[in-house]
Amino acid sequence: MDHGSIEREIRIDAAPEVVFDVVSNPEHVEQWWPDGARYDPTPGSTGEIVFTTPSGERAPTGFEVVDAIPPRRFAFRWTQPPGEPARADNSFLVIFELTPAGDGTLLRMTETGFRERGWDDAKVAAEHADHVSGWDHFLPRLTAYLGRLGARR
Amino acid sequence: MTAAVDDRLWSAIGDPTRRRLLYLLLACGPSTATGLSAQVPVTRQAVTKHLVVLDRAGLVRSASAGRERRYEVDAAQLARAAAQLNSVGAAWDARLQRIKRLAEAIQRSKR
Repeated sequence: MDHGSIEREIRIDAAPEVVFDVVSNPEHVEQWWPDGARYDPTPGSTGEIVFTTPSGERAPTGFEVVDAIPPRRFAFRWTQPPGEPARADNSFLVIFELTPAGDGTLLRMTETGFRERGWDDAKVAAEHADHVSGWDHFLPRLTAYLGRLGARR
Repeated sequence: MTAAVDDRLWSAIGDPTRRRLLYLLLACGPSTATGLSAQVPVTRQAVTKHLVVLDRAGLVRSASAGRERRYEVDAAQLARAAAQLNSVGAAWDARLQRIKRLAEAIQRSKR
């Protein structure tokens, strides 16, 4: 179980072929995410996506295509320094899975990799850790705690 | 944008033992490595290492208490961590809404 992951699901009134193109083709990706995207949407290809910082600077980050199975699955790694190979400890893995749903598509997105970043000797201790200390347990409590803090102010 | 997330904060809070220690400090109030190690299945030395990581990320504050250091949660930094966790999810929600609008517009233009 990976607690450091984000999962989302969304129903889209468009065919899986169309949705696949939107999540994988750099020209479309630029429309919904970075300010620039330069990569070949085939497995193993590397490139970069570029964001513009609030101060107007160009901030490129590495982008590596892991899987491209039209119109079912598109996966990539990002946040590695541009030009460096993507690894579990320097990048996030994003997986798009597409399932036909009526005349539309169910798009499922998973992003993992938060837990592995900066992962060190704590790994040994983590193996003994109580399973209830996962995100699902932690976040509601944290939110409740912060709510209490807010109420006190 | 996920890349803006503070790596040190993420790795500090990403570990289950460190989250457990944060809980204990939240639930039971300030404590020392010795006090905390009685409540987790790791040694006092391991607890100390984890507390140092939490301290470096600013999630806890420490003060000298006799021969040990006494740790407490830094509420402001913890709030920042929670906001970042939420913002990553919120960022994806917004991206997926844009994917939906774009795909549906392309589909309509084809019909």
